[in-house]
Amino acid sequence: MSGKGVVRSIKNYAKGFSDVQIRVREATSNDSWGPSGTLMNEIAQMTYNQHDFVEIMDMIDRRLNDKGKNWRHVFKALLLLDYCLHVGSDNVVLYAKENVYVVKTLKEFQHIDDTGRDVGANVRQKAKEISNLLLDDARLREERRQRQQMRDRMIGVTDYMNETMLGTRNEDGEQVYTRPGYLDDDKELRKALEESKRLADAE
Amino acid sequence: MSYLSADKAESELAQSIKKATSIEETAPKQKHVRKCIVYTWDHRTSAVIWNILKIQPLLSDEVQTFKALITVHKIIKDGHPNVIKDALRETGWLEACARSVNGDGARGYGTLIRNYVDLLQHKLQYHREHSEFNGTFDYEEYISLKNIDDPNEGFETINDLMVLQDRIDHFQKVVFASFRMHTNNECRIASLVPLVEESYGIYKFITSMLRAMHKRTDAIDALEPLRQKFNAQHYNLLKFYYECSNLKYLTSLINVPKLPPDPPSLIDSNT
Repeated sequence: MSGKGVVRSIKNYAKGFSDVQIRVREATSNDSWGPSGTLMNEIAQMTYNQHDFVEIMDMIDRRLNDKGKNWRHVFKALLLLDYCLHVGSDNVVLYAKENVYVVKTLKEFQHIDDTGRDVGANVRQKAKEISNLLLDDARLREERRQRQQMRDRMIGVTDYMNETMLGTRNEDGEQVYTRPGYLDDDKELRKALEESKRLADAE
Repeated sequence: MSYLSADKAESELAQSIKKATSIEETAPKQKHVRKCIVYTWDHRTSAVIWNILKIQPLLSDEVQTFKALITVHKIIKDGHPNVIKDALRETGWLEACARSVNGDGARGYGTLIRNYVDLLQHKLQYHREHSEFNGTFDYEEYISLKNIDDPNEGFETINDLMVLQDRIDHFQKVVFASFRMHTNNECRIASLVPLVEESYGIYKFITSMLRAMHKRTDAIDALEPLRQKFNAQHYNLLKFYYECSNLKYLTSLINVPKLPPDPPSLIDSNT
């Protein structure tokens, strides 16, 4: 854990953030690496729970309105929002459309870091992409459908892969290592698979 | 979505307005302007913004007045549609801005301020007469459809839009003419940002609407004057954007649109 990470966990404790909020804060932190696919996927899945959904969106909203020095908060919040728009619940889409101005107004986000690099460009570019996506219903529907299909296709594959290469679990059954990327959806997929088995049995 | 109490939101808003219209001869910082814009969406009103503007001692300083005008322009353009309604009641404040500085002022903002007020008044007047438009002139299909059913109304709408486009063109020339040697002109250039965005929105709107009208009407001859004007405006914009693309400070803020060297055809819409 880095120094920043320690501070963040103290803050989490001091401010009494919920587990959901802590995850969103983790995904949109000032660390210089991007949010992990696993984490984004976990958060996206949580948007299907009404109570978690409100907390997630509230935290993303706060991060989006952060100041220039914290441009990474803003940038990663956009990344996370984009991810949730693709695989999260329909509520995310509704919410984002209703509050599209929050993203739209980031198209002119400016921040030059200490070395004189224009880091605001990342935010501006991402804000443009997401605004365009939100204004294009057909495209958004299509992209959500494709992601869903991809997941459906991956079910068989990840299951096999887990047994062969990914599935390193400790004695508590927690996953110790997951590969980033789409394949780490396996926890979710496992759930979905069990669910479909259960339904098949029930029939 | 706002998670602040109303009082806190209001005091933060006052802070943002203060900072956006500060005394330094720089561009109004976008982060403060954005705060104001987001506020209008969160609260669906801009009444508080106007009140704060009126109690600030802005009009004693020409740079502050000019920065306030840029800020107001951006809020009208990108804020909640209700801002336009509010602004229509605030023309008195705009007139006060225009009267606040004598001649060209100590720092050369006098002419700029008066011309800017003039432009904003025309913009608001347009919105008064065409309430179906939003501040950014986003092209919305239904408007073009709505107007083609009544070619006369469509003709009027486009004609009025073109008048507004000419006003923008006039004002940008005033801005360019006011540049001074040996300064970075940042504060003056800042006013070009909303002009570029707005003129491009209007341009796209007129293009789409004229195309739709050409499709629906057989009276191609009747549209001849609009076509001529469209072509002339295309070349004006081309020149304006070309000059903007040479301002390094401006291109670092926004992408200046690139127009084709010749006006697009209005009769076959294959683009």
